[in-house]
Amino acid sequence: MSKNVVRVMVVGLILALVLGALPIAAQDKIVVTWFVGLGTGTQPEQQAIQDQVAADFNASQNEIELVISYAGNNQTAPDVLSTLIAAQTPPDIVGPVGVTGRNQFAGQWLDIQPLVDATGYDLTQFSDALIESYREGDALVGLPFAVYPGLIYYNADLFDEAGLNYPPTEFGAPYIMPDGTEMPWDFNTVAEIAKILTVDASGNDATMEGFDPSNIVQFGFDHQWDTIRSDFSTFGGAAIVNEDGQVVLPEYWREHARWMWNAIWVDHFMPSATYINSDLFQPHAFASGNIAMTRVMLWYTCCLGDLDANWDLAVIPSYEGNTYAPIDLDTFHIHKDSANPEAAFTVLQYLTGEGALPLLTAYGAYAGRPELQEAGIQAKAEIYPSVNNWSVVAPSIDYAPIPHHESWYPGFAKGQQRFSDFAAVLRGDAGADLDIDAEFDKLQADLQAIVDEASGS
Amino acid sequence: MNSQSASAGVAAAQNAPRAWSIEKRQRFWGWVFLSPWIVGFTLFTAFPIAASLLFSFMDFKIGEEMHFIGLKNWQTLVTDPITLQSLGVTIKFGLIALPVSILFPLALAAMLNSKHVVGKPILRVLFYMPYMVPAISGIFIWQSFLNGQTGWLNRLLRLIGFVDPPNWLFDSAWIHSAMVLIGLWGVGNAMLTMLASMQGVPTELYEAADVDGAGPFTKFRKITFPMISPVILYNLVLTTIGLMQYFVVPFVLSSTTRSNPDTNFINLHLYRTAFQFFDMGYAAALAWFLFAIGLLLTIGIFATSRRWVYYSGGDL
Amino acid sequence: MAGNSISRSVNTSPFYSRQLRGFAIKALVTLFAFMLLIVYLLPFGNMVLISLRSSDMLALTQDSSVLPLIPITYTYEDKEYPIVEVPTDDGVQQWALVKKGRQASQFIDPANPDAGLIDWDGNWRLLSEVQEFSPYFENYPTAWEAANFPRMFGNTLVIAVVGMIGTLLSCISVAYAFARFPIPGKNILFIILIGTIILPSQVTLIPTYAFFASIGWVGTWLPLIVPHFFANAYNVFLLRQYFMTLPRELDEAAMIDGAGPFRILTSVIIPQSWAAIIAVGIFHFVFAWNDFFGPLIYLLGKPELQPISVGVQIFNFQYSPHPELVQATSLMAMVLPLVIFFLAQKVFMRGIVITGVEK
Repeated sequence: MSKNVVRVMVVGLILALVLGALPIAAQDKIVVTWFVGLGTGTQPEQQAIQDQVAADFNASQNEIELVISYAGNNQTAPDVLSTLIAAQTPPDIVGPVGVTGRNQFAGQWLDIQPLVDATGYDLTQFSDALIESYREGDALVGLPFAVYPGLIYYNADLFDEAGLNYPPTEFGAPYIMPDGTEMPWDFNTVAEIAKILTVDASGNDATMEGFDPSNIVQFGFDHQWDTIRSDFSTFGGAAIVNEDGQVVLPEYWREHARWMWNAIWVDHFMPSATYINSDLFQPHAFASGNIAMTRVMLWYTCCLGDLDANWDLAVIPSYEGNTYAPIDLDTFHIHKDSANPEAAFTVLQYLTGEGALPLLTAYGAYAGRPELQEAGIQAKAEIYPSVNNWSVVAPSIDYAPIPHHESWYPGFAKGQQRFSDFAAVLRGDAGADLDIDAEFDKLQADLQAIVDEASGS
Repeated sequence: MNSQSASAGVAAAQNAPRAWSIEKRQRFWGWVFLSPWIVGFTLFTAFPIAASLLFSFMDFKIGEEMHFIGLKNWQTLVTDPITLQSLGVTIKFGLIALPVSILFPLALAAMLNSKHVVGKPILRVLFYMPYMVPAISGIFIWQSFLNGQTGWLNRLLRLIGFVDPPNWLFDSAWIHSAMVLIGLWGVGNAMLTMLASMQGVPTELYEAADVDGAGPFTKFRKITFPMISPVILYNLVLTTIGLMQYFVVPFVLSSTTRSNPDTNFINLHLYRTAFQFFDMGYAAALAWFLFAIGLLLTIGIFATSRRWVYYSGGDL
Repeated sequence: MAGNSISRSVNTSPFYSRQLRGFAIKALVTLFAFMLLIVYLLPFGNMVLISLRSSDMLALTQDSSVLPLIPITYTYEDKEYPIVEVPTDDGVQQWALVKKGRQASQFIDPANPDAGLIDWDGNWRLLSEVQEFSPYFENYPTAWEAANFPRMFGNTLVIAVVGMIGTLLSCISVAYAFARFPIPGKNILFIILIGTIILPSQVTLIPTYAFFASIGWVGTWLPLIVPHFFANAYNVFLLRQYFMTLPRELDEAAMIDGAGPFRILTSVIIPQSWAAIIAVGIFHFVFAWNDFFGPLIYLLGKPELQPISVGVQIFNFQYSPHPELVQATSLMAMVLPLVIFFLAQKVFMRGIVITGVEK
């Protein structure tokens, strides 16, 4: 090691230390940080749009400098955010965040009601029900921004190949079988046609004798990327904990667990975990072109650019005469320890107001703000010319199950993990031998223990 | 930093009384060379470690005020069934993975050091290459490679006549074997350290053994192994610690293939406790519990090392 | 060589057959090494092939080829249809599959499109597509631009190289102290050193971050570089192990010649340890190259400072994954470390010469 090298390095290190310790050049503007990553918003295309929105905001006024922090992906962002919060350097604004993200960080969000009152912000432009979904007790934690109704996405090409009619686009409308008989559009009918739409490598469908479930190349139906509470909620919403602190999962959820188990392991029209993670489902789920129908929310329109097939939207099937379409809601929150809540609220108004349209388009959302709804659908229709049935989006909002499928309960984070474990067992390799009723009872008992533990402390 | 303190040391030594005994002077120099770590430990490491120990006696939920609760987290630890279960999973996996993590890179290093192999420079690069693949991308590839339906491994197995090959990632009976396979891509560093150590074995030793007519295995056992035993010890200690902290593979697998009791390793349990359930106090207790086990194992390995590790420079 | 000449004079068997035997052993062992390599790198082949598919070529059944093949298509009425091999009474025909059906499908004959659609009874899924080898290289430029490679490469290089220098300087010094000096309580200190890596880092993350935030280092490279100037257990331990295998005779000889501890380090210990030192350098470089969470959290909101490891993850989303771009990015990011590793090997080889001669 020559002495010169050593000297250069010592000087370099000292220089680095000095530079690092220098305070960031003094700014007159109030810096508001916007944390992206807890929900959607981190894809390169979305980043570009958000950067533009931030730049437009910064150019529109002289007091506030909006800075975006991209926290990796959905796996890393919660860790980053909790580190920032625990180190007492929280971001000012977090979003877009769904209900799960909001509940995961329950207690961290600023009540913006005083700011609404102080600035005279007009809440009456939204329906009371919508505003209500952003309240926690008396506190208002967000403004309506994006709604993603629950829908059926179907691959029209696969229906054509099987000679089947498309699913209905109106609530209450029947499904017409190839022979002309009308069937109610419910989960039994879905099972019927999904079996026909499930095909093995030799071209046998799941209703046929020689069908080989070990080499399926096309599936009829999926609850895509299920959070199992939302799957269950297609048979009706339910609170996890009743007023007495008891966990009583409804019978219709058990019923849906059985329906799913049958679909995966008896009728084989729904993929097991092995299939979901196989190359058959690349690059992802419905976009692979190998699923005929999938139930997922409107945000999935973000990601179907590569699907080389005619696909369209339909209404969610009913259960015993009622339809429940689990809905996702996204918004922005202000952290309770934000140093500049007023400035953050100004930004929040911009993101949910003037800047909303490009953002909603980037996120694939339906606007919470009525006057933006038509424009949002227009933007989507231009991207996906094969889709005719945008009309199912708006009415589906009214069929959202209550309570919301991501609603909070004591021990939320642990409980959600327990639900996800249930899904894993249901779809995993041992699922075929599962006693689904016993497993459901175990889920209920474990949830009770989690709720008790959380309420006790 | 080191060079700074070193040059400062030179000056100090020149001023030091000539009368210092050799012993004293050696000690002084010892501290000088040690100083970068002492300083770094004090500046960057000691505070977070002390803080985490403190957390284990606190009710510290992320985002809430923390307060002292004495030994409550430690009591929870003893009674938490998931802790014991995940510790069991970790130990069970460790017993399979540890020998593989030592023997496989050892065999590779021996091969890549063999005078019989042609093309060693390119082989070394290619065998080290998987280690450079970013961890998460690598695990994605293995997930695809090991998929029961479309994975390359099972396609290959079907091709050579296995009708019903294992469902590696979703069958509890096979998941640990699958993780061991994934782990084979992580042996690059171990291989390299062993190779570096083998390069340092004086060639005269082998020449002398040739004269005695020793075969390759005798040479490995009598010369190579003792000469590289310090580096084997190094890998044994680090692999043991690494297995106690085994996290990235089960984390990525469980986030896409969902959780499975057999992938709930203790460090994943710790991570979930801290960053998913936000119970940093209890997570700290878990971490220090793991620390105690890891420390005991490390000291245990060092204690046995006197019997099988040979230092040419003498053991101090 | 000396061993050879001795045995040659003792052994009376013909020289050429011995050489032949030596050649045969070399060939066999080398063959084995390369076969093992192929098996070991099979998943890597998977990685490369994924990076050569467009995203609509990713969906595969267990019977489809792993190579990037796409069907040859024929354009009929402005739409593209795949050409398949159809068995007919007149032998196998290469027709474009226009309308798929369960019992019967319709085809067009590219040789005679004016004849209109041809009805065919049978199961189209059993027909094989006429495919051509068509690797899709576009992923590489796409990933290159989206990840802003040139800037991120530069950032990574600075972070990795400066950190590597710090690691080498500090770890060599500390390992030397542990290997050669009679420090009181040395074993305890060494256990403390090892102890710093036994504690899972999840619980020290928050205080560490809070500390760096409080001294204003968050948003700079300092937390990713400066701590490496103060030694770490992994590399100190390795170097200490290596230094301890070095015989002390040369140290003592140098000491008698009047060399001080610093001279002994630079002229006796380091020249004998190049292999281990290079290994430590590579470890740090690869670590820094792939370290993801550190840069993510310390450089949050500073895209202009982020290294390549953050860029590699930008296509990795839960809900819209692009495996082909993730892998293309990862492969591109690996090129530089691979080249450096290849060059560093030369020093490895030199390591033998030095130790062989000096001992």
